[in-house]
Amino acid sequence: MTDPFLILDLLLAGAVIALAIATLTARDLFAAIVLFIVLGLLSALAWVRLSAPDVALAEAAIGTGVTGALLLKTLHHLRYVAGTLGEQAAHGVTPVTPVPMSVIWANAAFCGLITLGLAIAFLDAPLGGPGFDALVADAMPASGVDHGVTAVLLNFRSYDTLMEVVVLLAAVIAVWQIERGLSEAPAPDLSVIWQGFARLTLPAIVVVGTYLLWKGSEAPGGAFQGGAVLAAVGILLLLSRLYVPHPSHRALARWGFVLGTGVFAGVALLVTGGGRVTFEYPPEHAKTLILLIEGLVTVSIAVTLAALFHGREPVALRAKEAGHDA
Amino acid sequence: MTIDAMTLTLFLPLFGAMAAFVLPRAATGIGLVTVLATCGAVWLLALEVLKAGAVITPLGGWEAPLGIALRADGLSLAMLAMTSGVGLLVSLGALNALRDLRQRQYFWPLWLLLLTGMNGVYLGTDIFNLYVMIEVIALAAVGLTVLSGTKEALRAGLEYMYASILGALLFLMGVGFVYLHLGRLDFAGLLEAEPSGALSAALALMLVGLLLKTALFPLHFWLPAAHANATAPASALLSGLVVKAALYIFLRLTTYMPLPDEILVTLIGALGAGAVLWGGVQALRAERLKLLVAWSTVVQIGLIFIAFARAGQVGLTESWKAAALLILAHGVAKAAMFLAAGRIKDELGHDIIRDLDKSNIRPTLAQFTFALAAISIIGLPPSLGFIGKWTLMEGAMAAGYWHWVVVTMIGTLLSVAYFSRVFAGFLRFDRVRAPVGEHQGWALADVAPLTLAIASISLGLMAAPILSFLELGYALGVMP
Repeated sequence: MTDPFLILDLLLAGAVIALAIATLTARDLFAAIVLFIVLGLLSALAWVRLSAPDVALAEAAIGTGVTGALLLKTLHHLRYVAGTLGEQAAHGVTPVTPVPMSVIWANAAFCGLITLGLAIAFLDAPLGGPGFDALVADAMPASGVDHGVTAVLLNFRSYDTLMEVVVLLAAVIAVWQIERGLSEAPAPDLSVIWQGFARLTLPAIVVVGTYLLWKGSEAPGGAFQGGAVLAAVGILLLLSRLYVPHPSHRALARWGFVLGTGVFAGVALLVTGGGRVTFEYPPEHAKTLILLIEGLVTVSIAVTLAALFHGREPVALRAKEAGHDA
Repeated sequence: MTIDAMTLTLFLPLFGAMAAFVLPRAATGIGLVTVLATCGAVWLLALEVLKAGAVITPLGGWEAPLGIALRADGLSLAMLAMTSGVGLLVSLGALNALRDLRQRQYFWPLWLLLLTGMNGVYLGTDIFNLYVMIEVIALAAVGLTVLSGTKEALRAGLEYMYASILGALLFLMGVGFVYLHLGRLDFAGLLEAEPSGALSAALALMLVGLLLKTALFPLHFWLPAAHANATAPASALLSGLVVKAALYIFLRLTTYMPLPDEILVTLIGALGAGAVLWGGVQALRAERLKLLVAWSTVVQIGLIFIAFARAGQVGLTESWKAAALLILAHGVAKAAMFLAAGRIKDELGHDIIRDLDKSNIRPTLAQFTFALAAISIIGLPPSLGFIGKWTLMEGAMAAGYWHWVVVTMIGTLLSVAYFSRVFAGFLRFDRVRAPVGEHQGWALADVAPLTLAIASISLGLMAAPILSFLELGYALGVMP
């Protein structure tokens, strides 16, 4: 008897591979990005079928949603800069030179070797090998939450998670410090309908994001997924020009970026003492502390992702800088 | 609240970075105090390691493999000490080298995040955690690369980011397969694992990712432009410290999961030899001083891998010490050299090697510093570089692997040749008729690079204690 899901799985696997090939071979960058977004959505489905709903949510919200928005924004910017010839000369945007064959062959050899390594590592792998499952199940009662993934991310291995939030912080600092003399590419002209759409959907997105965060302690969801969904609020606000970043908002934004990392690291240090080491939450307060950390990390992730979408520190452009390379 | 020294080493720079970011006007002060405090934390940790051998903290109270443990032994401590010590002097050098307000504001948070990441690598015992740490390092390092804001720096920074992320991705894929096979991610798990073909393939993926990040020939393509176009303190950090993090992980991994075949060890040595020769030739051809110094980093990385491979598979139990000595020697000397090169460029207004002797300004002390650092990098006694090279060749000779000795000798001659181009520019031969300007030949800003250069020479006299310190707590081999 064939499992009815088998057909779905086969279709899904085939579609993911076909979309990956289509994304890589698409000539038009816009088409490639749209294909990539579809690829992400189908991969999210694949994660669901692999019983990894947490990864599926992250893939859909971050890997597809936010990444797709970032890619489209970049494309818009590139087309704007490359599209005006005067600007092109001013900023030294040179036409792409063809890649020499030797480099292509070297790349192909490198990729071939990597694929070979992947194949060997994969073909010999045990199916359903050992993992943390038993260890996690044993330690769950002391974790303060009811969902295994959240327990691993925010208690057992919270050090890793803290440092992942730090990665995001490093990213936004690195982006902000790149000074761009040229003014921003003008936002696409959004009609009244879009502004109305934004007004209607914003409250719904806030509810969904908060729900994802809240559910995280007992079911799939959590800070990264919730934060990415809430970041969509920021992206919509930016796109519809309901919010325009201003230099005077910088201080607040900086606090927003570090809030999550600061509280996370601060709690990790404050719980020490009396025989407890860093990150060792007292079991009776574990749930409260984890929710506190998750909530504030969500805020930081949302603010940071929205700022990454905006892509620059909102500095006051002086008249003489507006048209020149700094 | 009682915080152990290991946690302090990690969290001090993290909080410093956040403070320097939210209070940009006070960034310089916050940065200096933080780096100084981190040096203090490393010192405290060193005292603990001297007393107890290896120190271990299971974070969150969860034992590995479920949780993540921090572990410090002689080797980690040597790396931490190099990072915070060199970092402190580079920070002092940065006070003068960063003129632009924007650079001064952003240098500190990025550098402190970089310090957090590197300290995390040296204390890490969990391969997934190491992946997260190299991501922190990568983003902060790319930020520092493009800090100068020039078009070349931005282009080099983008290339660096592609290479760095590709390397991290390869590493992560390897980590995934290791977890699939072993069901755990800690070093102890690797040490207990039964060797198998699939596990070796996973290890190979991780190692290739690390080689890309540490820029071993022929995966060095991103390094020269990135290191040559950054501002001087950023170059010093990138060249002296950042590439060492991936090298350190390489040393650890190859000890806990030994390379399965002698041919692979030889191959790594051969890539190192390629780096020494190719990098040497490119340094001879470089037109700019900073580019020459960047190519010399490619050479030195190659040399470290030759030290790793010097006595084949059997010799690995000793060879890591030669590699570690060269890592320390290069870290100190290269930071001095990049800071000195930056000083020379600041004073002359250019760093074109051909025109070094055509200026009527003569930054004597910076040139002297550069020459001192070159002595350690060439490997003349009594510098730490000499001890490193000597240990390399001694081991190779004892094992009868004369080819590594020959390559090292050729590399040394090449380095004498390309540094001579610079020295010839320092000696004026009176090509400038104009009187030497009012420049007095030295400035307060020369103190930091000079201290580093003197350290790179004088640490060679302390080679014996350094070597015995490296072995504390069974740095490699026996775990934990």
